[in-house]
Amino acid sequence: MTSIQDRTNEFKTCVESIRSRSTLGNRGMEAKQRLLQNRSGTKSEFSRIASTIGKEISSTSLKLNKLGQLAKRKTLFDDRPVEISELTFIIKQDIAGINKQIAQLQAHAKQQEAKSASTSAEGKQIEEHNKNIIMMLQSKLADTSMTFKDVLEVRTQNMKESKSRTEQFMYTASTAANHPPSMLYNTQRGGADPMGDGSVAKFDPKGKGRAAQNGDMLALDLDSAEEGTGNANGSAFMQMQLVEQQDSYIQQRSTAIESIESTIAELGQIFTQLAHMVAEQGERVQRIDADTQDIADNVRMGHNELLKYWGRISNDRWLMLKIFGVLIVFFLLFILVS
Amino acid sequence: MKIFAMSVLLAPPSGTTTVLSSASDLSSFSFFQRGSIEEFMTFFAKTVSERTAQGQRQSVQENNYIAHVYNRGGAEQLCAVIICDQEYPVRPAFSLLTKLLDDFTAKVPQTSFSQPSSIAFPEIQNYLQKYQDPTQADTIMRVQQELDETKIVLHKTIESVLQRGEKLDNLVDRSNALSSQSKMFYKQAKKQNSCCTVM
Repeated sequence: MTSIQDRTNEFKTCVESIRSRSTLGNRGMEAKQRLLQNRSGTKSEFSRIASTIGKEISSTSLKLNKLGQLAKRKTLFDDRPVEISELTFIIKQDIAGINKQIAQLQAHAKQQEAKSASTSAEGKQIEEHNKNIIMMLQSKLADTSMTFKDVLEVRTQNMKESKSRTEQFMYTASTAANHPPSMLYNTQRGGADPMGDGSVAKFDPKGKGRAAQNGDMLALDLDSAEEGTGNANGSAFMQMQLVEQQDSYIQQRSTAIESIESTIAELGQIFTQLAHMVAEQGERVQRIDADTQDIADNVRMGHNELLKYWGRISNDRWLMLKIFGVLIVFFLLFILVS
Repeated sequence: MKIFAMSVLLAPPSGTTTVLSSASDLSSFSFFQRGSIEEFMTFFAKTVSERTAQGQRQSVQENNYIAHVYNRGGAEQLCAVIICDQEYPVRPAFSLLTKLLDDFTAKVPQTSFSQPSSIAFPEIQNYLQKYQDPTQADTIMRVQQELDETKIVLHKTIESVLQRGEKLDNLVDRSNALSSQSKMFYKQAKKQNSCCTVM
């Protein structure tokens, strides 16, 4: 990462070495010397502050690199949370400080601009140069903070992974500690929480990061539990049984909310099933409707036919008598013949 | 599932804690025991809050009582303790403690922390009463409960929809049969009519 470097000293030494080599043009050399001295003497406050800011940005980026290296490590047990949290804190403070300094510099430059309101070409150039320097410093700071954010994301990712792996390996230990009441007599304040104080400001204030540490501390605490048993039995005092919380509060909340989410998804599925069934039944209802129409039609037509028949029958009495007469005639004929 | 006592304490990292506000519900104990039990609760609360580091949550069990402690630290160095029985669910207890601390810091100015007797915080009693039934008071639990009820209702609905389907099937079959029968009836009637046209 390039930074603003102050090379006027080098320039001076170069000039002096050249001067010591050549003996010509002493007056020219004197003039040059005077110019050099003037320049080094009246170095503007602006460039001084800008150079300090540049140096700080470069040192912060170095620290950030180191933090990135630490955060990338994926080992389960060699994790150094204290260092990482300290570094994070320091880097955060540095970035805030640099930010403030840049703001001050900007205000200072604006002040100078307002004071001198020079219309000379040189003055305008100086102002533009100052503005450019400020912009460059700000963009460098923005880059640094973006990298910082990325490193923090990588760190939380790795912590999540290591926690899940820890759970896998330490699962039996944690269940063994949960069931029998552990006689842990925990009087040390900071003992169980190496990360809580350092990074409260950085992480979620409810201490999301502590989840990994509780699981890790379990293996050590079981040893101290053995010693603690001996001591506690001897005391006639109230025996306080400390229930070590395996899942921190935040994890419980997240599991509860996840279960709510899954319940809602289930409900959605049930609703779609319901809609499907009702749609299918709608088709059946349509079939029934068509059938009943057919039935109504058929019955009506049949009824009409019967009415016609009945009408015919009731109008044809004469024909009936005629038919009977013909039949009787035939009967008589058959009897007469036989 | 009962809460016995709740209290807010001032817990500086070194030295003694002082009780700033507390409330208790000892109606389940006989009248003569209440005094000593109240003392015990205060002592219990003070001890566990002294033993809890800043920014840490802990649960301590002693015989029948569990104390959930949340030492928030911060600028005011406050700590909240709730003493309840073993059945009370842990997570809503801690969310109640967080809520209590937020409310306390909003209502009581920090200057009165040095005179505990001058602090008037009646809401702590309200919280105690309201949270005796955590499923109603805690938002997440209430949502979960309502969702479960809705799920049960939906299951019943699906069952009745299935029955409706069966009945509809029945109806389809019957209407089919009726339709064919009425068709036969019509044909018969027509045939009868068309038969004896001579006479």
